[in-house]
Amino acid sequence: MAEDLVLDTAIRDWVLIPLSVVMVLIGVLRYFVSKLMRSSPTPDAKMVKEGQVVIRARNLKAGASFIPPKSFRARRFYFSNEENGLLHVPKDQAQNPQAQMFSDPNMAMDMMKKNLSMIIPQTLTFAWVNFFFSGFVAAKIPFPLTQRFRSMLQNGIDLSTVDVSYVSSRSWYFLNLFGLRGLFSLILGDENAIDDTQRMMQMGGFGFDASKSLSAEKDGLDIIQHEWALPRFEHRAESVLRKLVQ
Amino acid sequence: MVTKTEETELNQLENQVENGGGGVWEYLCLVRKLKVRRSELVLKHGLSILNDPGKRSSLGPDEWTLYEQVAIAAMDCQSLGAAQNCIKVLQKKFPESKRVGKREALLVEAKGMWEDAEKAYSILLEDNPLDQVIHKRKVAMAKAQGKPSLAIEHLNKYLEVFMADHDAWRELAEIYVSLQMYKQAAFCYEELILSQPTLPLYHLAYAEVLYTIGGHENLIAARKYYASTIDLTGGKSTRALFGICLCGSAIAQLSKGRNKEDKDMAAPELQSLAATALEKEYKQKAPAKLNLLSSALRSLKL
Repeated sequence: MAEDLVLDTAIRDWVLIPLSVVMVLIGVLRYFVSKLMRSSPTPDAKMVKEGQVVIRARNLKAGASFIPPKSFRARRFYFSNEENGLLHVPKDQAQNPQAQMFSDPNMAMDMMKKNLSMIIPQTLTFAWVNFFFSGFVAAKIPFPLTQRFRSMLQNGIDLSTVDVSYVSSRSWYFLNLFGLRGLFSLILGDENAIDDTQRMMQMGGFGFDASKSLSAEKDGLDIIQHEWALPRFEHRAESVLRKLVQ
Repeated sequence: MVTKTEETELNQLENQVENGGGGVWEYLCLVRKLKVRRSELVLKHGLSILNDPGKRSSLGPDEWTLYEQVAIAAMDCQSLGAAQNCIKVLQKKFPESKRVGKREALLVEAKGMWEDAEKAYSILLEDNPLDQVIHKRKVAMAKAQGKPSLAIEHLNKYLEVFMADHDAWRELAEIYVSLQMYKQAAFCYEELILSQPTLPLYHLAYAEVLYTIGGHENLIAARKYYASTIDLTGGKSTRALFGICLCGSAIAQLSKGRNKEDKDMAAPELQSLAATALEKEYKQKAPAKLNLLSSALRSLKL
């Protein structure tokens, strides 16, 4: 059925705009609250060292062709040697990152705080939207959609014959949730992006897993065949000079 | 590293500020952002802002950052009275702050009271054992007291934890070169090349260290690195051109008795080309010295 429904302009004035304004305000409020609640992170010496080791090992991999073969081999030995190489993690020490995460009370508290500050406003706003703004068509999406989106986007509307492009205010809420990130980075400056989507992704991949990255770097180093690029440079220098002298 | 556009902007602002135009605050902010060392100008203009209560209050919360910046600039210019005043103001405003504590310790160090500064830094380190700036201050103090071996010890300990800090590697390399410990300096330069392989400065420095250590293999390697410097700078590095000529003659001298096959014939014309390029450059920039150059080059070619 392709008739056009005429939507009251009052919907725009009283639903769409207030909802966006409220979400922006809640975002700003959350930013300031999180700034107040943020505890200054005390860096762990071991983690800092491991991070730096990884960077150095990566540099070694990237620049391997620029140093003489002897020095490369010496450094590779230093990193991946069996007894006390920096990248070598003995099997019994490779800890399960999740267990580590929960055994450290500070980190657990930090994660809880971060999660709470994200979940509570989201839940509250969602409940508010559902309570006040349900049961009517709020907007029309400009492109056609398939039937599968009906349950997601047309939640309060109990007519099954309405075109799926007509959505309820819940979908406007979700649209704002994901789309206001850009606006927040403009208003609140670059250092903060109240980035719900990013945080949700971060919850999946649990923090910095040191042992895995170390062994990954070690494997990467072991694979490399050293090829000294410097002899090639002599030829290139020759051609450069030749051109210069002409 | 400061980019070209930032550098031009900085110079522009500097000229503007020096000639009495406005823009002092932007200049100070830019200096702070780029972390360049323009202490005299910062001191002069920063103090002029701070002593004028009208301008000072218009800064708002940035006033304290300006106090800090002027304090450090004052210490760099050895006007310790001004530095003391700024730090006193900061202390009144932020009594328990670690950041202000660091500046106080810096003032003690600037006055030359080494043991007191040492104590102050140790106390700060207890609170925060991973503070990079404090570690570097300790190294600087050791260097200023004329104890390079102590500086080396501190730097090595620092680098054990923070091994990706290339400024530290560079400092260590320079200290080693000043102590003539060339093998260790070569190691440091290798680290630097690894972290930034496209920067000709490190290739050149490494080549010079290799040339200084001497020995057939090292000379061949040095020649290669001079060649890579030339490649990376498009032939403009005079030092590298000289380096190639000298390496060539040194290698020829060393391999007089040896088999000709040992000689690295990768780029046979490189030496003559380098000589020609040198002559061309001297003709352009210092024609008076061209004769000196030609006779020197002739004596090199055995």
